[in-house]
Amino acid sequence: MRISPGALLVVIAVLVPFVVEFRTALSWFGVELSVLESVALAGVLVLGLLVWAMWPQNGGEMGSADSN
Amino acid sequence: MAMRNAYVDQFPSEARLISAAFWSSFLALAIGGSLGLVQALHRTDYLRFIDSVDYYTVLTAHGVLLAITFTIFFLVGIFTWAVTTSLDRGLEDLRFSWAWYAMMVVGTVLVGVSILGGVVDSIDMQADVLFTFYAPLQAHPAFYVGLVLFVVGTWLAGADWFRTWWAWRGENPDERIPLPTFMTLTTTLFWYLCTLGVALSILVLLLPWSMGIVDSVNPLLSRTLFWYFGHAVVYFWLMPAYMMWYIMLPKLSGGKLFSDPLARVVFVLFLLLSTPTGIHHQYLDPGIAEGYKFIAMTNTMFLLLPSLLTAFTVVASMEHGARQRGGTGYLGWLKALPWRDPVFTGMALAGLMFAAAGFSGMINAGMNINYLVHNTWWIVGHFHLTVGTAVALTFMAAAYWFVPQVTGKQLWNRSLALGQVLLWFVGMTFMSNAMHRSGLFGMPRRTAEPQYQGFNFEPAAGTVGEINAQVALGAALLTIALALFLLNMVMTTIGGESDAIPDNTYAGTLSGPEDAPVVLDNLKLWTAIATVLVVFAYTLPLASIIDAGGLFGPGIEGFQLTIGIDPAIVLESVREVMP
Amino acid sequence: MNIHTYEKVWLAAAMVLIVGFIATITYGAVGPGIAMIDDEAGSIDPAEINDDERFAEPGVEHVGGNEYEVTVVAQAWSYSPAEIEVPANSEVTFYVTSRDVTHSFSVVGTNVNTMVIPGQVSEMTVQFDEPGEYGILCNEYCGEYHHTMEGKLNVVPEDEFDLTELSVEAPDEVDAGNETTITANVSNGMQEDLETTATLEIGEQQSERDVTVAGDSTEQVEFTVDTADLGEGDHDWTVTVDDYEESGTLSVVADDGNASADGGDGDA
Repeated sequence: MRISPGALLVVIAVLVPFVVEFRTALSWFGVELSVLESVALAGVLVLGLLVWAMWPQNGGEMGSADSN
Repeated sequence: MAMRNAYVDQFPSEARLISAAFWSSFLALAIGGSLGLVQALHRTDYLRFIDSVDYYTVLTAHGVLLAITFTIFFLVGIFTWAVTTSLDRGLEDLRFSWAWYAMMVVGTVLVGVSILGGVVDSIDMQADVLFTFYAPLQAHPAFYVGLVLFVVGTWLAGADWFRTWWAWRGENPDERIPLPTFMTLTTTLFWYLCTLGVALSILVLLLPWSMGIVDSVNPLLSRTLFWYFGHAVVYFWLMPAYMMWYIMLPKLSGGKLFSDPLARVVFVLFLLLSTPTGIHHQYLDPGIAEGYKFIAMTNTMFLLLPSLLTAFTVVASMEHGARQRGGTGYLGWLKALPWRDPVFTGMALAGLMFAAAGFSGMINAGMNINYLVHNTWWIVGHFHLTVGTAVALTFMAAAYWFVPQVTGKQLWNRSLALGQVLLWFVGMTFMSNAMHRSGLFGMPRRTAEPQYQGFNFEPAAGTVGEINAQVALGAALLTIALALFLLNMVMTTIGGESDAIPDNTYAGTLSGPEDAPVVLDNLKLWTAIATVLVVFAYTLPLASIIDAGGLFGPGIEGFQLTIGIDPAIVLESVREVMP
Repeated sequence: MNIHTYEKVWLAAAMVLIVGFIATITYGAVGPGIAMIDDEAGSIDPAEINDDERFAEPGVEHVGGNEYEVTVVAQAWSYSPAEIEVPANSEVTFYVTSRDVTHSFSVVGTNVNTMVIPGQVSEMTVQFDEPGEYGILCNEYCGEYHHTMEGKLNVVPEDEFDLTELSVEAPDEVDAGNETTITANVSNGMQEDLETTATLEIGEQQSERDVTVAGDSTEQVEFTVDTADLGEGDHDWTVTVDDYEESGTLSVVADDGNASADGGDGDA
C-alpha cells in the first residue's frame, strides 16, 4: 500500500466534491454529463486511485506513518 | 493498572455537567436534523407527509434547534472544559453552574413547546416565525420568554468562566492567560456585546407587544436589533470550532500549534469585528442609508483576515505534526497525517469545507453582488457549509474525543466514526452544491414548494429536477450520518468504563505566549475598542430608524398568518381592503 | 512578536485580497452605479396606504422619455398589481411597500431584489434593455401560504407598449327618432401626445374620429348616433382605440310607449 487505508478512504470522499463541481464546471462550457456518465467517471477515478494505492512499491521509500 | 488521567478523573463534577450539556446538544441535533430531512424531501417533492402550511413550523424548529440549541449547548460544554483544563482548577460553585444549565434547558423547552403548538392543536400556542422571528409576524409570548431564559443562561455560563479565571488570576497574578481560556473569554465578551441587541429587542419591543402591553412594533428596528446579534452569533458557534482547530488538531496531527501569539490576535480580531458587521444581512433593507451598509461591508471584509490567518496557522501546524510523524515532500506530508482517526479527519474535512464556505461568504459580503443571491437557496447552501459543516462536523468529531473524556468510556466504534464523518462530508457536498447553484437562478430559500404557477426557473446549467435530486440525496446521506453519530454516542455511553482513555491534554505551541505582546491579554482594552466600533457602526442607523418610524412603530400590530383555511378565502378578504 | 516569514507573506497577501474586494465593490457602486436600497424613499404608515399619494393606485406610470415609475403594494400573499408591464429600453423605478408583514419583491434570476418591510418604502431603479418575461416572487417567509405569493413582470417591445385606457359611456335605451351620443374617454398615461383614431361600429354603420390626447390627460370623443338610421330593436356597438375596445348594446324603442305613459291614465 502506498497510503494507509484511512487516507485512501478520505481521498475517495474528497473526490466526490471534485467530481460534482467538475460536472457543474463542464456544464458551463456546454458539456453536460448525465448522472450515469458522472458515476462512471467517478468509478474510473476511484479504480485508478485503488490501483495506484495497491500497486506494490518498489524502492525503499518510507511507508505510511499512520500509527493510530 | 496504569493511572488514567482523563478529564473525568481530574474534574468528576464538571465532567457530569459537560456530559449533560453534550446530551442536551445531541438531543437537539437528533430532532432538528431529522426535521431537516422532512423539509428536504418535502420541498423537492420526493416524499410528502406534512401539509405545505406546516412546513414553516418544521422549518422554525429545525432552525432554532440546530442553530441555537445544538450549537450552544455543545459549546458551553467545550468552553467549560477549556477553562477548567487550561487553568487546572474546577468551577467555583457547581450549584451556580447547574443553575445556568437548568435555565438554558427551561428556555429551550418553552421555545420548543411554543413551536410545537404550530402543529399540535391541543397546545394553544404558535411560533411559526422562523429562527429570525421578524416582527410583525408574532409568536406566543412563551417563545420570546424561552429565548430570553436561554440567553441569560449563557450569560451566567460566561460569568462562571470569568469567575474561575478571576480566582485563578488572584493566585497567578503574573502568568499569561492560557490560550484556551483566552479564547473562551474573548468569545464570551463579544457574546455579551451582541446579545445585548437581541435581549433589548425582545424585552423592550417584542415581549410587551406579544403580551398586548404595547400595541405596535417598529419592524425595521426589531429586525436591525436581531441582526446586531444575528451575525455575531455565527462567530459564537464558530469560535469553539476554531478553538478545536487551534488546540486539538495540531496535537492530533502529532505536533504543536504553530503560533500562540497569532492565535490570540485572531481571537482579538473576532472580538472587535464580530458585531459591527450585522447590517450586511440587511443590504437589501429599505430605511438604512447606503453609507451604513458600506461600513458593515468593510468591517465584514476585514473579518476575512482572522479566518485567513487561521487557515495558515492550522495548515502549518498540521504540516509540522505530519513532519514529526515522518512525512516528507512538498505535499507528501499529507500522507503522514492520522487519517484513520475520526477526530482528526472530521475536523480536517470541516476545515476544508469552511474554506469553500469562505468563498461563498465573500460573494454574500459583496454588497452589490448580494442582490443576486440575497434570500435565495444559495444562502442556505452557504450556511450549511459554515454552521452545518465547519461547526457541526467539528463538534461531532470533537465529541468522539470529548465523550470518552467526560465519561471515562471508550468510543464504541472508531471505524464507524470515521465512516460517519466521511459520509457527512459527502452528503453536504451534494446538498450544498445544489443549493448554491439554484440560488444563482433565483430559487428562493424558506419556501415549501419547488415550483410556482406563473413561471419556471431557468437554470444556467443542469435542470431543476437535478438540483432537487441532489438536495434529497445529500439530505438522506446526512441523516444516515446523523443516525450513525447518535448510535455511536449512545453505545459509548452505555458501555463500560475503560482504562485506555488518553490523557486530558491539548496542543503545545512552537511559538508560545512569551512571544505574544502583553497587551493582547488586556481584555478591558479590547472590549472598550469593540464597544467603540459597535457605537460607530450602529448609533446613527438605529437613531435614524427610530427617528423615522418611532420606537414602537406607527401602529403596526402583530400578525399570525396561520389561519388554516382555504387561501382563496383569505385572499378575497385581503383584496377587500385593497384600493 | 515573532512572526514567521511565510506568515508575513500570507498576511500581506490576505490584506491585498481584502483591499481588492473592497475596491471592486466600491467600483461597482461608483462605476456601473449599482446603488443600494436605502432610506431615500422614506417611511409610510401601513394603515394609510390606501390614502397615500403614491400607493393609493399602484401600477405603472410614465415619468417622461424612457423613464417609468412602478408602485407595488405587497401583502399576504399577493402583489398589487399582480402583473406589471413595462417597455424594453426603459429605466424603471420601483416603489414597493407592505401592507402587513415583511415580504420581498424579487424578480427571478435577476438582481432586482429588495426586502419589503412594513413602514418602509423600498426604491430601486432598473434598466430593462431587452423584452422578456420574468416571474416575481416573495423570498421572505410571510405566513403559511408564503409559497403562493408571486407575480409577473413582462418587458414588451417598445412599439407594443402604451399606457392608453379606454372607457365608454353609452345609454342603454333610446327612443326611436331621437339622436343620442356615445362618448369614448381616451386617457393617455404617457407624457407624450397620443395621436390615434377612435372608431365606433354600430349596426351597419361605422364612424371614425381622429383624436389627439395630450400627455397624462384624457380626451372625450363623442359619436352622435341617429336612431332613424338604425331602426327599432337592439343594436350592438363597439368602440375601438388602437388595441383596446369596449362593446355594448343600444336598444331603440318605439316612441309611442312613452307618449301613452305621458298622456294616458293621468293623475288629473
